Amino acid sequence: MQHLSALLVSDFNLGNFSRYLEQDGDVPAIACKSAPSGQVISALLNPFTDEQRPDFAVIWSSPEHVSPTYARCRDNRDGDLDTILAEVDTFCAAVTKLCLDVDLVFVPSWVPVLETSGSFLLGMRAPLGASRLLLEMNVRLARNLEKTSNVYLLDVTRWMDSAGASPRNPKLWYLAKVPFANEVFLTAVKDIKSCLRGFRGGARKLILLDLDDTLWGGLVGDVGWEKLRLGGHDPAGEAYADFQRALRAMTHRGILLGIISKNEEATALEAIDRHPEMVLKQKDFAGWRINREDKARNIIELVHELNLGLDAVVFIDDSPVERARVREALPEVLVPEWPADCMLYPRALAELRCFETPAVTAEDTMRTRMYVSERSRAALLDRIGSVDAWLKSLEIRVDVEEVDEGNADRALQILNRTNQMNLATRRLNEMEFRDWRAGRTRRSWCFRVSDRLGDSGIAGLLSIEHVDETAEIRDWLLSCRVMGRKVEETMLHVAIDYARSVGLREVRAEYEPTAKNAPCLAFLQRAGFPARDGEHTFVWNAEREYPLPEAVACPKAVWRTADVRAGRDRHT
Amino acid sequence: MDLRERVATVIYRAIDEVNSQLPPSDRLEKTRDTILFGREGGLDSLSLVNLIVSVEGLVEKDFGRAVPLSIAEMLFEPDSPFSSVGALGEYIVLLLEGRGVKSQSEVR
Repeated sequence: MQHLSALLVSDFNLGNFSRYLEQDGDVPAIACKSAPSGQVISALLNPFTDEQRPDFAVIWSSPEHVSPTYARCRDNRDGDLDTILAEVDTFCAAVTKLCLDVDLVFVPSWVPVLETSGSFLLGMRAPLGASRLLLEMNVRLARNLEKTSNVYLLDVTRWMDSAGASPRNPKLWYLAKVPFANEVFLTAVKDIKSCLRGFRGGARKLILLDLDDTLWGGLVGDVGWEKLRLGGHDPAGEAYADFQRALRAMTHRGILLGIISKNEEATALEAIDRHPEMVLKQKDFAGWRINREDKARNIIELVHELNLGLDAVVFIDDSPVERARVREALPEVLVPEWPADCMLYPRALAELRCFETPAVTAEDTMRTRMYVSERSRAALLDRIGSVDAWLKSLEIRVDVEEVDEGNADRALQILNRTNQMNLATRRLNEMEFRDWRAGRTRRSWCFRVSDRLGDSGIAGLLSIEHVDETAEIRDWLLSCRVMGRKVEETMLHVAIDYARSVGLREVRAEYEPTAKNAPCLAFLQRAGFPARDGEHTFVWNAEREYPLPEAVACPKAVWRTADVRAGRDRHT
Repeated sequence: MDLRERVATVIYRAIDEVNSQLPPSDRLEKTRDTILFGREGGLDSLSLVNLIVSVEGLVEKDFGRAVPLSIAEMLFEPDSPFSSVGALGEYIVLLLEGRGVKSQSEVR
């Protein structure tokens, strides 16, 4: 198994944290290296050789160590805020320096290592209340670090809360200089691993929900929608409504919701539409299967319809029998144990650590709307009949943009999360992608797709590198949400037209097979792109045009602009 | 279940907690003869501290009495009462029975 390497930097003993990180059974596997304890700044400023460079770093320091003035101030009220903040700035400068060498850095926020006996009443009062100072330090830390994109400040209070009444363990502190109870470290490990999975494109994207006794209390088929427990002056009803609110909030992070329920569809949809306390509406669901069929089979169908993989799915159901069935039939689906008490549902949802992503893009916030638009498109196809007529009726528009700071987050998301229409499945982190694009013979474009039924946002990415007289396609990715709408052909048109415009002789695409990208190969074969050297190398002679599909409008040929780096280099 | 068995159960639970931090090859067996610390092997000092602190917490929870193991002077001495699971159990039983252990030498 491939391990990620972690560098741990701290002024206290992170031995327990390090051991939990290494022994935790969830992916990714991690091998830790700890900088000498107590030498935070020197460890941060120490340069790495290539062999030493870790995949990520955790810099978990104490406020007392970073700012001796804070420690003095807290104990004796001797010091001033400006000095404390200057010490925070020094620490942040060292962290920023490390960020030049390490792709990903986590910095847990500050909490005092030891409980203090300072005044509670005056703790939040300026200028020298101890809690107030710590708050100021954390805000300064956040403001300083937000300027650096590959460092993430993590909220330690979530980990401290997980340990209940005793997040600190004085015995571990005095015996081994371990400040926190092991529950704190265990929760930290779960969170950090969840973040790492997110960075590697492993975040779950779809929550499939049962209805009866999951989204509302009661069996709608038996009691009717009017008698369901949902909202109102009822503890259980309030809990169900809160659970729905939490789910809806997740849709704003790009997580899709779907329904898998054994009910009559008309009855269930009537409840969703008519119950006045229903937080989630039909428009909040990307799709559903509401019938009496096997839930595992329904999940497969719905996931296929949404063009996702089973490994993107979380299935939530109050019934242990249904959970066991799905778990056994579909091991890729995450089926969390679910509490019997509905008042624990919101917490159970919050404790799922599988949805972290490095950024939330505009496309994420409107993802559900895109799927709802897709339902309208499918309905239109049913009405119109012919695919070509349907595509023309959609009035598809593709806007091509050079990848830049404004769209790089989304481009990176596509690069690391798209599986099916993916030529080479090249995965890069932010720094690697930026470095690659900085090459003088390389170009990357985003493809923004819209039609009269909705905006799909940036859905495609194309990267090309000049090698001699050839335009080598390095990345050719398209979100499954827009597959089959002639965007694939539009991207080929852009690649070939670009090669022609800068005088290259051919365009070459090397298909790298994975378990999931067969649709990409099928498209290339279907698109008339000639294969050479076996099945996986496709070469287009740039003397021939590749026409823009009739159904697509592509208004600005930005790939032909005169000031592009690669094109300019070729002509100068 | 007599007192010795109850104490052994508590120690084994603490061993489970410590084992969750260790690679399979370093994990402790749950037997009376298992060496915890000393010249013949066993745990490193951080793991021993984790074990002792965990045992203290579990004893207090299960027996409703605090047994101050971690202040013992001989914590890291090779012939301390923490040298094996059996010795640790006997030491805790003495403390729980209130037989007035004043120093480590009484249980050695």
